[in-house]
Amino acid sequence: MTDATFPQCRIVTERLLNPETTEHLLNKLSEIAGIRRMVLNGPRLPATVTYGPATGMANPHNMRKTIHVGDQEVELQVHVGTVILELESRDVIPTLKTACEQVFTNFTFRIQEGKFMKTEPSLVDYCKYGPDADKSILGLADPSSKSKPTIIQGIK
Amino acid sequence: MAYKPQYCPGQTQVAENRRKQLDPNHKLEKIRDVTDKDVVLVMGHKAPGAAYPSAHPPLSEQQEPACPIRKLVTPTDGAKAGDRVRYIQFTDSMYNAPCQPYQRSWLEAYRFRGIDPGTLSGRQIIECRERDLEKYAKELINTELFDAALTGIRGCTVHGHSLRLDENGMMFDMLQRFVMDKKSGMVKYVKDQVGVPLDSEVKVGKPMDAKWLKTHTTMYHSLVGTGFRDDAEYVEYIQRIHALRVKYGFMPKEA
Repeated sequence: MTDATFPQCRIVTERLLNPETTEHLLNKLSEIAGIRRMVLNGPRLPATVTYGPATGMANPHNMRKTIHVGDQEVELQVHVGTVILELESRDVIPTLKTACEQVFTNFTFRIQEGKFMKTEPSLVDYCKYGPDADKSILGLADPSSKSKPTIIQGIK
Repeated sequence: MAYKPQYCPGQTQVAENRRKQLDPNHKLEKIRDVTDKDVVLVMGHKAPGAAYPSAHPPLSEQQEPACPIRKLVTPTDGAKAGDRVRYIQFTDSMYNAPCQPYQRSWLEAYRFRGIDPGTLSGRQIIECRERDLEKYAKELINTELFDAALTGIRGCTVHGHSLRLDENGMMFDMLQRFVMDKKSGMVKYVKDQVGVPLDSEVKVGKPMDAKWLKTHTTMYHSLVGTGFRDDAEYVEYIQRIHALRVKYGFMPKEA
């Protein structure tokens, strides 16, 4: 569960991001001290077709790639459109803005402050993780999937 | 004075474009040349060149009941031959796509015969006899109603019309049926409309530029094009329809 005292913000871009741009952005963000948690949001890109006559066939998609962030491989499962961040303090936001300005040179973006992550475990979280779940990972990965959050070593 | 249809209200470029598309006497501008074979490939209902499977014997070979309506209405070629009913479905991006679902159904009703359009918020399906469909689909793809990046031919998994475009200016498609060839700038279909990979790619040309789209779109969008509220006449019309419908809901009685 998120401590309510930690500020959250979200980076919203004018365009959905290519994997290369996402990689560039995340590497910039990983150099910033003071980011606690991060969620990449966007429409899902499944590995197989899930509906219609082609159900079960492979679904090759240019936007679903494995990117390299810090010292970790991250397999993108969505076409990234929004990045939600939990910060240690609001002082980090100007640094975030500078990083974004270096990455998003061809289109606009904005950083919104607010509350964007789960604050309480949902029923699905309870079913998946039980009553003693590690509250710091709630909301970071889809509880119904087998994927887990990626831990990227920061610079602190 | 002879009646002259107005088609739709509005004083903006968007309204003017709507009227042009709806008017069956206005010839739609042809901007690409996708062949019959390519249209058949993208729709995926049969192999190109294969005979049309039939749902019933040709009308000339079967006894028709005595029906005054049948005498009045000339059957389309597909109906005459007894073709199956098949479909094509389009998704239009909100970012200044040249056409949009409601407009599609409306203009098809003016321009085509023997069709069954289905209108949804982000997609529009048209069903009709197979050989008629191929003719109509070709017109829908080859003319100004279609843009390579902002209009998608999608039989299922259509999500994308209300999403932001990607960095290449393409509408989101979970199945990525069409991709941009960065070298040539051409958009090509690599899967048919339901997501089955094609044996050969179908090129549908280059996406139109932002200026062309803004002057040819039939969709109001306050951020990237013409805002709906900028069109006072259209707002007045919609408010009038809305008010009349609400009042009719209460079954008003004339005094």
